[in-house]
Amino acid sequence: MIDGIGRSGATPLHRLPTGLKLAALALVATALFFVDRPDVLVGAALVALLGLRSTGRRFREIASDLALPMTVIAALGVVDLVFVDVATAASVVPRLLALAFAAHAVTLTTTTAELTDTFERALGPFERLGLVDAGRASLTLTLALRFVPLIVEEAREIREAQAARGLGSHPIAVIVPLVVRTLVRAQVVADAIDARGFPPPRNSNNAK
Amino acid sequence: MSVIVPAGAGRGPGDPPEPPRQTILFDAVAVAREGRVALDGVTLRLAEARIGIVGLNGSGKSTLLKTIIGLVAPSAGRVTVDGLDPSAQARAVRATTGLLFQNPDNQIVFPIVADDLAFGLKNHGWSKAETRERAQAALARLGIEALAARRIHELSGGEKQLVALAGLLAVAPKTLLFDEPTSQLDLRNRNRLARLMAGLPEQLIVVAHDLDLLADFERVLVLEDGRVVFDGAAAAAIACHRERAG
Ligand SMILES: Nc1ncnc2c1ncn2[C@@H]1O[C@H](COP(=O)(O)OP(=O)(O)O)[C@@H](O)[C@H]1O
Ligand SMILES: [Mg+2]
Repeated sequence: MIDGIGRSGATPLHRLPTGLKLAALALVATALFFVDRPDVLVGAALVALLGLRSTGRRFREIASDLALPMTVIAALGVVDLVFVDVATAASVVPRLLALAFAAHAVTLTTTTAELTDTFERALGPFERLGLVDAGRASLTLTLALRFVPLIVEEAREIREAQAARGLGSHPIAVIVPLVVRTLVRAQVVADAIDARGFPPPRNSNNAK
Repeated sequence: MSVIVPAGAGRGPGDPPEPPRQTILFDAVAVAREGRVALDGVTLRLAEARIGIVGLNGSGKSTLLKTIIGLVAPSAGRVTVDGLDPSAQARAVRATTGLLFQNPDNQIVFPIVADDLAFGLKNHGWSKAETRERAQAALARLGIEALAARRIHELSGGEKQLVALAGLLAVAPKTLLFDEPTSQLDLRNRNRLARLMAGLPEQLIVVAHDLDLLADFERVLVLEDGRVVFDGAAAAAIACHRERAG
């Protein structure tokens, strides 16, 4: 999932405009919460899974991409089954699976550049009202996508270094150096973004 | 493509293009960073094609590069880049002067190579149509056009360094500032980068602990505690640095 932002490709889902895909995802997600019939929800999950498969991703790859969310969904199903009732479990599980498949299909077929461009355009009206700076907001999204994997990797390195020194694993012992490193990195990255000329000039669509 | 040469310009269409150069002036520049003196009364005129900077850790080398593009402002004195003030006219200076950071992971902003190059181009006002072409051309200059669609986190350290450099070259700078460019590279990638650097027509100002990298530079500065303690030919500067390092 860390790697869940798509490559460019040529499947029908790849070719759909990003704005349309995001709007459809939002609509489907909302609609799913008004439906309680397990048969309809199972159908929705199957359709979403086929949509996901149509992006060229194999079932095995899908299973490994979504291992974590699917485990959580399964656990929720068990909790519902034990503490609530069968009917609740039978609607919660396919509903969340449908959502996870649909969301993954969108991220797999949308590159970061498309996502941030769309985000920036969608924020345009709010920017004109003076509420947000769309360029900055979309850069923040990009930075999260780019640096979250690096920070996860750093956490692993810190844990390994501590294990090598014979320290047991304690969350605080990882979090403190991780926060320090992340703050230092944030300062350097902020400098690099400035050095590369951000923010773009106001009329950045005009030819130079 | 036809080039019209004004009469008396003294340059024919067959002449190689003018090598990119800028004149960078430091006039009694001091920089204080959190109470410590990072640069202390530096006066320099930098106009050569190849300038090296050496010095021990904390001697002010990175700070000197950062003042050139206005990331750090002098607390006293004045810096100009071809007459522009990097603090007040940061956009203009950063369009002609690129800084390659020590760790390319901190410099590359987008997860995909081509998107990252597009980021810098967009910042400098290039249109979408020109962006693709310029990004491809910059990657091709470094022989890495095949990386355009790759994800940054799948690249090796050497490849990331080249992608970061391509991101600078794409915006057509006149001057490139390198901060310890080989410190994170293995020997093969180091040699590859050294060869590429030697072939760049741009003006280069290079901070390095890797002294061999600077051996044939026209001019090398030695920094110590924020002051320029030697300024001259590479061999003499490197000898001076070795002696002072002990
Ligand atoms: N971001 C910073 N904040 C405060 N002090 C800094 C910062 N960066 C560097 N310094 C200080 O400025 C001095 C020069 O540092 P620097 O230019 O990074 O040296 P060099 O690149 O030669 O190792 C050092 O004393 C260092 O501690
Ligand atoms: Mg330094």
